[in-house]
Amino acid sequence: MASGIDPEKISRSFAALDIHDYGDVLQCMRCGLCLPSCPTYRTDGVETETPRGRVAMIKGVIDGRLEANEEFIEHIYDCLDCRNCQTVCPAGVKAGELVLEARNRIEENRPQPVIKKFMLNYAILSQKRLAKFMPPLRIYQRAGLQSVVRRFDILKLISEDLRLMEALLPPLPSRPLSDQIPEEIPARGREKGRVGFFLGCAMNLIFGDVSRASIDNITRAGYRVIIPKEVQCCGTPNIAEGERKVYREMARNTMRLFQDRSVDAIVTDCAACGAELKTYREIFRKDPVISNIAEEFSSKVRDISEFLDSAIDSSVKFGSRPLKVSFHDPCHLRHAQKLIIPQRNLLRRIPGLDYRELPDEGQCCGSAGIYNITHRQRSMKILEAKIESIDRTRAELVISSNPGCLMQLMYGKRQHQKSWNVCHISEFVNESLKLGENV
Amino acid sequence: MTNSVAAKLKESLGKSKVLASEAELFCYSYDATPLVSFRPEAVVKAENEEDIQRTLELAASEGIPVTARGSGTGLSGGSVAVDGGIVLLTTGMNRILEVDADDLSITVEPGVVTSTIHNTVEALGLFYPPDPGSMKVSTIGGNVAENAGGLRGLKYGITGDYVLSLDTYLIDGSKVRYGTKCVKDVAGYNITKFLVGTEGTIGIFSRIVLKLVPKPKAKKTFLALYDNIIDACRTVSAIISTKVIPSTLELMDRVTINCVEDYSGIGLPRDVDALLLIETDGHPAVVEEEGAIIDSACKNNRARTLRMAQSPQEADELFTARRMALSALARAKPTTILEDITVPRPAIPEMMACITEVSAKFNIKIGTFGHAGDGNMHPTCLTDERDPDEIRRVHEAYEVIFDKAISLGGTISGEHGTGYAKSKYLPAMVGPKAIEVMKRIKAAFDPENRLNPGKIFPREAR
Repeated sequence: MASGIDPEKISRSFAALDIHDYGDVLQCMRCGLCLPSCPTYRTDGVETETPRGRVAMIKGVIDGRLEANEEFIEHIYDCLDCRNCQTVCPAGVKAGELVLEARNRIEENRPQPVIKKFMLNYAILSQKRLAKFMPPLRIYQRAGLQSVVRRFDILKLISEDLRLMEALLPPLPSRPLSDQIPEEIPARGREKGRVGFFLGCAMNLIFGDVSRASIDNITRAGYRVIIPKEVQCCGTPNIAEGERKVYREMARNTMRLFQDRSVDAIVTDCAACGAELKTYREIFRKDPVISNIAEEFSSKVRDISEFLDSAIDSSVKFGSRPLKVSFHDPCHLRHAQKLIIPQRNLLRRIPGLDYRELPDEGQCCGSAGIYNITHRQRSMKILEAKIESIDRTRAELVISSNPGCLMQLMYGKRQHQKSWNVCHISEFVNESLKLGENV
Repeated sequence: MTNSVAAKLKESLGKSKVLASEAELFCYSYDATPLVSFRPEAVVKAENEEDIQRTLELAASEGIPVTARGSGTGLSGGSVAVDGGIVLLTTGMNRILEVDADDLSITVEPGVVTSTIHNTVEALGLFYPPDPGSMKVSTIGGNVAENAGGLRGLKYGITGDYVLSLDTYLIDGSKVRYGTKCVKDVAGYNITKFLVGTEGTIGIFSRIVLKLVPKPKAKKTFLALYDNIIDACRTVSAIISTKVIPSTLELMDRVTINCVEDYSGIGLPRDVDALLLIETDGHPAVVEEEGAIIDSACKNNRARTLRMAQSPQEADELFTARRMALSALARAKPTTILEDITVPRPAIPEMMACITEVSAKFNIKIGTFGHAGDGNMHPTCLTDERDPDEIRRVHEAYEVIFDKAISLGGTISGEHGTGYAKSKYLPAMVGPKAIEVMKRIKAAFDPENRLNPGKIFPREAR
């Protein structure tokens, strides 16, 4: 076969799914309660694009009733990994995690394209390496080339996907944040404790100013911040693409960097990173050498809102921000980390703020890592629904806390010429804290 | 395998409306019924009436079966194509055609999700009472075909009580409109009421008119906890005999409570033997009076505690928890097989005692929940399909439960339908003459038996 897929080889690897996972598969009683929450069922309206369908197909492959052919693989990759299905499933079926398990078994049994190997096995290993991609892009943006390309829609002639990739990128900073800040930043006022800050790739390279605000917020809460510069990627892209060997290597390195630094918490301002770092304990649960370290590491991980909401005490004053605001929950925050309350609590502490819940809260924005590039059309449909629900709140500002969501929402704003703005919760909280300081 | 049916359908309807790949056919081989799986030859995603007509015409010229399907949440195998052929999806026909707030009706296409109807009419101060457990997923077309019930059945009735008119496609592709928007309509046979609950074996609905009622002004929600499930059952009989009809009167046993609490974490007590979820609605004064009667009925029948929901949110939480019961039970064991018996309400304690006995005798874990207020119980066997001996005992246990329900003057299915799963129990329930009459009616509409074959009538009896 041209694609080099050997369905029998893949099926055999599925048959070896361990009994615990198999139990999860069996526990799906096909009630269909997951259907309305699934973004791909909403766009496509067919059973093959539902959590129930994916679980059934995986079970079919295990039982030998369905061939693990190209079509099957396509459906497994159509999932955005938003985990909304796991939030709504009363039976506790982990449909989203099963899909990732299936991807791993597929990838280990089919040839890997060179570009994917390059990205997942090489480039991602070092943020310095990733940073090398930035200057040429920045020159492109700053030298006026971007405006010409955009005005004449030149990339459309080459590829829609490339055009979207280009359009998604916000203005890039000159250097990664890691090159601009010290490894340790003292607390403001009396030190209440020590926090390790995990600098995610996208935050460091693209949204450096956001992480700068995150770190400042943590110091304002009374904590010294330790920022290991040699962190690698958290591994989310690898897991999403079924790669686990490099993932484990990177995870081990990250855990090592935070070990022996006597930190009370490990904070990240990227929801995807947070979800992944919290998962290390599961991934290494059966590894006798490292399971304790992973358990300790994951138990300390906090999303930025989760941390700030409990760490900022009443001595710290918030300044007034009289704005109509909505929060878009990143799936990796709401569904993967099960965090719904802290981000809302944090925002409600800001005086003057008019908080408005998004209709259909908990729905994905369609970003989903690189899903908006790999599945452009479906992603754009999902984004349109999100924009509609934002419009209905009449919010002036949409706040989120994941770089993928931010890029997707900013793209949606530009593309549909919306008047609302998009920002990360750290930036917004930081402005309020700075105002509060002067009161 | 060359699939000529799919090719012809694609030619007639356009490629995008026909699904026929291996994975697609696999995914339409099941609904929510355990252990039932049959692959169709093609799936049509109808977007309008013409699609339905063309599909039926093509099926007629090919001589193959057609099985209508909504969201696939059925619990008796009603939407599974057991003889293959075409699965006709109506989920793409999901428009609300009219809300007539002056004459209290709503006109919809069959693929509208039930809770969408609730949300739409309640915003206008109106009420569509039928609320099957799957209402956030299920389609109204499926609800009408199965005559679905729900939590409010005892006071407000079930789906069929609200159907005013049906546009129905017959097996040859012709369409008939039965019924009008009028509350009274006795012109000719009442085919509308007959079509409700025919499980897709007589016709396929393309347009449905439903009766609406004013939304109740007030309600009160109670949670009663019991140390003995039989006391809970006696409370149900007691409330009904005082001539109070609550809008909801639901029962959950200990196994169910624990599974639901595992998922929802709303603080249901894990150490009780059973709970009743009771709601009364209507005029505030009536609600007040009925609330007092319910209160004393619970206490007189040894309720450990009785708590009134303090806010609409709390009441919502309790109702959502109850609707999750079946799916939550699936946590406990790999396979969940539930039944749907219904008995006259004074017989509920005896029926419950039988279920408890059967559970012990056949060594099967059974979680029971249900609409106790209308006598409709869902004893649910928590089992493992990989253990053939246990599955055999499950079926034996159900035979005893069915026999008991029938002997108490009850029925083998209150709201899930006969479908494929319960067809073999129907003759014992209704007798040979009734089966013969039903078959004659079926033959008059569908002489070639191509509309959802393999349902209702047991195979060996055909």
